[in-house]
Amino acid sequence: MSAQPQDGAARAAEPAIAMSLRSLGKDFGARTAVHAIDLDIRKGQILGLLGPNGAGKTTTISMACGVVTPSRGAVLVDGVDLAAHPRRVKAQLGLVPQELAIYQELDAVQNLSYFGALHGLRGAALRQRVDWALHLAGLTDRAREVTATYSGGMKRRLNLAAGLVHRPRVLILDEPTVGVDPQSRNHVFETVRELAREGMAIVYTSHYMEEVEQLCDQIAIMDGGKIVAVGALPELVAAHARGGLELELEAPAPGGEALTRALAAAAAHAELARDPARPQVVRCEAPARLAPLLAAIEDCGVRVARITSYQSNLETVFLRLTGKALRDAQEGA
Amino acid sequence: MIGATIRKDLQLLLRDRGALLSLFALPIVFIVVFGSIFRFGGDRSQPRPLPVWHQPGDARALTIVAAIEASGAFAPQRHDSPEAVRSLVAKEKTAAGLIIPADLDPPAGRKVELVIDLGAPMQVRGPIEGALGAVISQALAPAGTAAQPVLEPRTPPGLAKPLANITGFQVTVPGNGVLFGFFIALTVAMSFTEERRSGTWRRLLASPVSRGAALVAKLLPFVVIGLGQLGFLFGIGALFFGMRVAGSVSALVVLSLAVVLCSTALGLAMAALGGTEKQLGGVGSVTLLVMGLVGGCMVPRLVMPEVMRTIGMAVPHSWALDGYYTLLVRTGTGLTDILPQLGALLTFAAGFAAFGVWKFRFER
Repeated sequence: MSAQPQDGAARAAEPAIAMSLRSLGKDFGARTAVHAIDLDIRKGQILGLLGPNGAGKTTTISMACGVVTPSRGAVLVDGVDLAAHPRRVKAQLGLVPQELAIYQELDAVQNLSYFGALHGLRGAALRQRVDWALHLAGLTDRAREVTATYSGGMKRRLNLAAGLVHRPRVLILDEPTVGVDPQSRNHVFETVRELAREGMAIVYTSHYMEEVEQLCDQIAIMDGGKIVAVGALPELVAAHARGGLELELEAPAPGGEALTRALAAAAAHAELARDPARPQVVRCEAPARLAPLLAAIEDCGVRVARITSYQSNLETVFLRLTGKALRDAQEGA
Repeated sequence: MIGATIRKDLQLLLRDRGALLSLFALPIVFIVVFGSIFRFGGDRSQPRPLPVWHQPGDARALTIVAAIEASGAFAPQRHDSPEAVRSLVAKEKTAAGLIIPADLDPPAGRKVELVIDLGAPMQVRGPIEGALGAVISQALAPAGTAAQPVLEPRTPPGLAKPLANITGFQVTVPGNGVLFGFFIALTVAMSFTEERRSGTWRRLLASPVSRGAALVAKLLPFVVIGLGQLGFLFGIGALFFGMRVAGSVSALVVLSLAVVLCSTALGLAMAALGGTEKQLGGVGSVTLLVMGLVGGCMVPRLVMPEVMRTIGMAVPHSWALDGYYTLLVRTGTGLTDILPQLGALLTFAAGFAAFGVWKFRFER
């Protein structure tokens, strides 16, 4: 599956592919965490990776940056195989883990100098990159303070800076805004956009649907160790969800077997969707079929309390594809 | 609220195997180890074997031997030659022996030779010299006369000459140096755990550094820190407590390097076993304390019973202490005198490292 449209002419105008995952998969004993996924990320692209807990996102990211060895498949960066040339490829990769992967006993300069040195930076080049990363993270003024004294948002920004101090071609961010204040979140957004404008390919996972909607120009949805959909947001919405009507049933109606049967029969005509987290709500994506649906519900002795219209968005797509609302999927994380 | 809090904390405790081990199992281990040391070492019902030589039929020697036997503290065992007695002490088969000359005449300076390592800690020498001196004096002195010094302690051939006027610090500095030097293993293991927990280990694995190099790079700083720690402790011992180095200083440095390599490798092995910081802090620290105890860091192995001394050889601490003891106490000693200890420590280091590399999971 590709994150790019397959049209030949359009493809010729697109930036080159920065990273490719080819039939990439991982087994842990008898359990398959990731099947065999294919994904391309182009230069300057921000790819959002979404999926419920246990979908295989972290395993995929870990394989993509060489932290976990794949059971099958390959990771290519600028066409070079990670398994065959790990040092060469890893030099082009930056990882921002979900955890605050910094040394809180050290100051920002010491942290960034260490992570830069891991990527072979020395002397003046290292100092220059550290200054650049500090500026990018907005931490220049507090660079010499022990990071344990930083606010949560500042630590998050340093966590980001540590992943890009060596200016990688591909930056992988795993939940980079967990627990940060809106100001720091905006700072992270702006930084990510700026890096993408400069040509960096970015893989971005987040629990926050609105972040992915705002930030990512391509979205890949994972479930059960597979990529179940990939594309730009409008493409995903067009392909997997539409707007419609939301019927809120009167309590304590939901759950009756008769209702379930009636809805199942009506679903064939009315394209219904139900959110397991809100069992009293029935979504009808074919408003023209509303009348027979209402009749079916009323025949079961259930009353409809409210009917509202809704627009499809990423949440709708996610619900449709995975059967889970993202907020519920992540609560278990 | 109080009841709910008690219930919750009990539930947490029951699920924390490390804490349960520290609280309930490890005290039993300490009780057994300490009990074993002192049961065999200080139990009067089991007299300490004492090799003795004297001319056959020497009446005064027989009187002395009978008096010693009657004291209940020693079990005299006659040997065929003075050399046999000296050899047993030199090989540390026994702490002391007696050679009773046929022309025994203490006032004239011809005393009973007490074969004993004069470099042995005072905890070992003191009680033996005192007890034997008193028993022999009483056996020889006519009733109502003052007892005279009858013993002449001598180090047997085969043991390098010890320093004169040895203080307790000559023993306690290396003892505690080895005990706390091996605690670097705990620091190593906890450092790996902390790196994994914080995510910096993932960053390291994602960097263009090979896994082998990452492991070595992670361990090397602890070798430097460990050497610094031992250097600091021995330096303080020399500057403030009058500790002296009787042998070669360069050999002391080499031995310290072997100790630090061994403790760092032990840290890798502990890290490979996994566990949380809490578990390591509990089980790991008590394990190291027990190893130190068995290895003679707190109680000299010479006063331990044979079985405990044999068990002690199974921990690197005892070899390290033997090496330090040789270099700190015996004049003229060098690298060749501590080759067995160096070999043992490096073998332990290789074993720990091999286990650590085998069991270490980079992708845990």
